[in-house]
Amino acid sequence: MKILIVEDEHQLLKSMVSYLRSENFVCEEAPDYATARQKIELFTYDCILLDVSLPDGNGLLLLNELKENKKTDGVIVISAKNSIGDKIQGLNLGADDYLTKPFHLSELNARILAVIRRRHFQGQQILVLNELTIDLTAKVVSVQRSPVDLTRKEYDLLVYLAYNKNRVVSKNAIAEHLSGDEAEIFGNYDFIYSHMKNLKKKLQHAGCGEYIRSIYGMGYKFDI
Amino acid sequence: MRLNNKTIRNYLFYSCLIFLLTIPLFYFAIRSVLLHAVDKSLKSQLKEIRSNLDGIHSQDELAAWSRLDKDIQLEPAGAPIKDTIYSTTRYSPKHGGQEPYREIAGTITVEGRIYRLVVCSSLIENDDLLGSILLVQSIVLVMLIGGILWINQKISKRLWQPFYVALRNMQQFELNKQTDLPFLSSTTDEFNELNKAIGNLFSRNLEMFQQQKEFTENASHEMQTPLAIYQSKLELLMQTSPLSEEQAGLINVLDDTNRRLIKLNKSLLLLTRIENNQYQSTDEVEIAALSKKLVRQSRIHAEARNITIYEELNAAIRVRANRVLMEVLIGNLLSNAIRYNIDNGVISIRTDRNMLIIENTGTYVPLQSDKIFNRFYKQAGQMSVQGRMDNRGYEESSGLGLAIVRNICTLYHYTIDYAFIEGRHVFRLDLHDGGIRQGTGS
Repeated sequence: MKILIVEDEHQLLKSMVSYLRSENFVCEEAPDYATARQKIELFTYDCILLDVSLPDGNGLLLLNELKENKKTDGVIVISAKNSIGDKIQGLNLGADDYLTKPFHLSELNARILAVIRRRHFQGQQILVLNELTIDLTAKVVSVQRSPVDLTRKEYDLLVYLAYNKNRVVSKNAIAEHLSGDEAEIFGNYDFIYSHMKNLKKKLQHAGCGEYIRSIYGMGYKFDI
Repeated sequence: MRLNNKTIRNYLFYSCLIFLLTIPLFYFAIRSVLLHAVDKSLKSQLKEIRSNLDGIHSQDELAAWSRLDKDIQLEPAGAPIKDTIYSTTRYSPKHGGQEPYREIAGTITVEGRIYRLVVCSSLIENDDLLGSILLVQSIVLVMLIGGILWINQKISKRLWQPFYVALRNMQQFELNKQTDLPFLSSTTDEFNELNKAIGNLFSRNLEMFQQQKEFTENASHEMQTPLAIYQSKLELLMQTSPLSEEQAGLINVLDDTNRRLIKLNKSLLLLTRIENNQYQSTDEVEIAALSKKLVRQSRIHAEARNITIYEELNAAIRVRANRVLMEVLIGNLLSNAIRYNIDNGVISIRTDRNMLIIENTGTYVPLQSDKIFNRFYKQAGQMSVQGRMDNRGYEESSGLGLAIVRNICTLYHYTIDYAFIEGRHVFRLDLHDGGIRQGTGS
């Protein structure tokens, strides 16, 4: 899987590359508009991470370029401005998703995987993790072919951890992922403990191995 | 007291003083002038009598002459005396009473005998004249003062008009309302200078306010990138191994702190955006439906602490407002009701006519209603009041939630108030003026 990261902030770029590389992604870097434009013309990527404010141009213009060249790369727009205008403009110009700085790397990873899955495996989106199977289209989880009855939040939690498997996902990242847009309003993240407890109990009950580990109260890890 | 009346009062005082002073002054001056004239005439009369004495040759002739002229009295005298002039009163048969007179007394010699001659002149006409002159003068003075006051009053009203316009402009001037306040131009240099000075002051203030707002927004924006880098590095740090429990604990605290920073920054940005009027688009928002949605979203947070939410959202309140802001407004109130609640507590959210009322259990101490809507205000010393109270609510508070609520209310002319009723914290949001009148149509 090839990914192009267009980001002018060097340290942030390095962080993204470092986190995504372990997911077997091949990451290419473009620190400015000109480089990004060149690379987009020459190559095709599975997903492009696009920062809006670049030193030499507006990242959103690259979306136009892609459209004109009839390229079908998946695009996630990343903006420092938490403005709805930018979001709508980005999505109207054909971006697949939108993220606001600052974001969690685990969230970014999950979004990239979701975009790639949507584009490459239409219809057939199934995650298999040993005895655990997650049907992303039907939103059904089963252990050794017998379905496990999960609530919506528990399902989201499992998918998020599975997307970021073998990595520590901070509890703050999980809480923000689960509460979505209202995360900014409701700041209390106590609720994830009970969801986590229930999810673990249900999976264990269905005969699934104990893949989810708590890491010293700092976060969780799906170890496989 | 108005400036105009103040100046007029001084003028009036001075005029009255002069008026009162001039009356006796005039009286004495005119009187002395008149007396002087009478004296002169008496002297010349006496002189004329003396020069005409040659024509009188007998005692009888003299007696007859003095009898004819009532103003002359003759009586024999022993020795010649010096001419003297004096005032006196004497009986006047003509008016039947005492009258003021001026007399000159001297001696004449007729046929070798010395006589005392007194020539007198009535002063009653002089007094009448004096009276008339003073009356006329008084009338003139009164007219003069009255006229001056009237003209002054009349002119100054027009003259001071630009000043009062400028004053009203200053009273109406508000920093976050950029309305153009026109000044009244005047032919008076001072007022024009005043207008110019005030105009400059206004624009300088507006400019500074604008710069301050822009600064806050820019600062918040610029902060996003370092915060993002910091957060990404923390996440990478979490992936390192081996990781001891001690290190994990430290990373955990850093991660929580960074989340608070991010939230604080976002709240600041939101606050400035509201102040900068960047939420201009409006939709028709159904308050009950929006509240229901927010209650649904908040349930997972409430359930985590076993808080029960009662909703009674029946009234159909529709407002024209920005949907995002309305969500923030009600959401902030609701999240506060959860955050500052006690475990196993209760929240009630209900509509009443044009009001949305949110009640919650919490500390048994009322909040300071005049301060809770201020930025960065956090009620201290309350955490231990209720044993089961969760301290984290206070620790995680940005201190901006209710400030944002107040700003949104100010923007849409809603009113929000707080009361502590029967152990419950009650926030009442009155949505009376939400532009319901305009554009709802259907």
